Amino acid sequence: MTTGQSTEDLLRELAPQVLGVLMRRYDGLDSCEDAVQEALLDAAVQWPASGSPENPRAWLLTVATRRLADILRSEAARRRREDADYLATPPAVLPGADAWLSDTGLVGTGLAGPRDGDDTLTLLFLCCHPALTSSSQVALTLRAVGGLTTAEIARAFVVPESTMAQRISRAKQQIRAAGARFAPPDAADRDERLRAVQQVAYLIFNEGYTASAGESLQRTDLSTEGIRLARLLRRLLPDDAETAALLALMLLTEARRAARVAPDGALIPLAEQDRARWDRALIDEGSALIEQTLTTTTALGPYQLQAAIAAVHDEAASLTDTDWTEILGLYELLAQVSPGPMVSLGKAVAVAMAHGPAAGLAATDELAGQLAKHHRFHAVRGHLLEMSGDRAGAASAYDTAARYATNAAEKRYLSRQGRRSRET
Amino acid sequence: MKYMLIIYGNEELWNSVEPAEQQRMFAAFDEFNKTHYASGELLGAYGVADAAATKLVRLRDGQPAVTDGPYLETKEYLASWYLIDVDSEQRALEIAAALPSAVHQPTEVWPILHEASRETGADMGVA
Repeated sequence: MTTGQSTEDLLRELAPQVLGVLMRRYDGLDSCEDAVQEALLDAAVQWPASGSPENPRAWLLTVATRRLADILRSEAARRRREDADYLATPPAVLPGADAWLSDTGLVGTGLAGPRDGDDTLTLLFLCCHPALTSSSQVALTLRAVGGLTTAEIARAFVVPESTMAQRISRAKQQIRAAGARFAPPDAADRDERLRAVQQVAYLIFNEGYTASAGESLQRTDLSTEGIRLARLLRRLLPDDAETAALLALMLLTEARRAARVAPDGALIPLAEQDRARWDRALIDEGSALIEQTLTTTTALGPYQLQAAIAAVHDEAASLTDTDWTEILGLYELLAQVSPGPMVSLGKAVAVAMAHGPAAGLAATDELAGQLAKHHRFHAVRGHLLEMSGDRAGAASAYDTAARYATNAAEKRYLSRQGRRSRET
Repeated sequence: MKYMLIIYGNEELWNSVEPAEQQRMFAAFDEFNKTHYASGELLGAYGVADAAATKLVRLRDGQPAVTDGPYLETKEYLASWYLIDVDSEQRALEIAAALPSAVHQPTEVWPILHEASRETGADMGVA
């Protein structure tokens, strides 16, 4: 065991590797995943009390394999009448696994085995299977790859543990029903499946990022989980530009976290944030990563452009020092690569900052139909109207924005903006 | 994203429904609950007692004064509510449309904005 690494960190790092090995050998996500969870629980109880084993990974594999044998045996007993063949499986499980284990003698940290990386990636693809809803993909990924317990995931999403348990067990059933095997996706599907994995990591990150500050002390920190997954994915696919950019985008966003929320939980917009509170180390890492990615990329993707935009913001000493012409250029590229009303809205802000509020407002006009009920559209209009000196118009736009906001901190912020515009 | 689905009941309307039809409705609601609990989308399903059983509590000079009846004098009262947690508003609307009562009555679908933390009691501003 590496010194300085807690039992929990080590277990969570090993969880997808051990699960990957079991899946490769025996398949069946539901049984394998249950077996690994039980082995992790055993380890969490035993290791702190009696010391970590010399080879934690092999220990986990042995225990998980035995648990799997138990699970398969009891399932087989249940199905004996229906499926006689099934009974033949369990006796083969243990000797095979033990022989394999004694061969390898793998070390406990990093991606020790030659196929571990592939296994973990295959596991990610499976957890983000298109047959699942995004909330099921998220839950399954956090459990099978992130090594979180069902209780921790339930707490993070503020749902009862029984609900989360149902969601995870149903997700596993759906994967089985969809006929998915523990194998990498076909070359034809691979890009799309990879995008789903990236999106799940980003969803997890954003879920943590929008939660209010006071609560993040109690909630399992989902932003950290998202970054952990992005780091893992980058380690597995070091040459994929969008994966590198996704990690960079998360780091550059996370860097502003402390400055983004006031002590009372109120939201502080980018323009008013104390930039001295931004995390320089995260900015440096994120900027270096996106810079390097942009020099080697063969195709610009949405994460690369969003990370590049975030880097321009993070590198600026103040709002007025920001290179808005560059940001506008990046938004124009983004609108080509990944068109959508929210991208157009971001572009409208850049237009306003580069060419004045009137030009920005004109750019929002065409979005009025699509985004009429979206709070961000009205918040941007409020901001641009305020810039142009129309205080009454700004107040009314902020009020509308507050009505449509679905996040309490954002709603409070927008209501305050409305009041402030009316008073001053 | 969490949503509250609210059904308003009308005593007269419900009493005019044939007992056999009432039984069929109950069974359909059980089925609805089972399906959506199993998917992990339904967090809770509740129904209130008859409006006649409702009490109203007011503080008068710092003392609780209890009177009978709901606050509003209407024919339609809150009857049942469902707390769901789904991927999108679209999905919330689908589930609302799948309620067995949907053929008789509209369902209000409210996005949940505030949820108090169990640990601190503070608003978590659920997105």
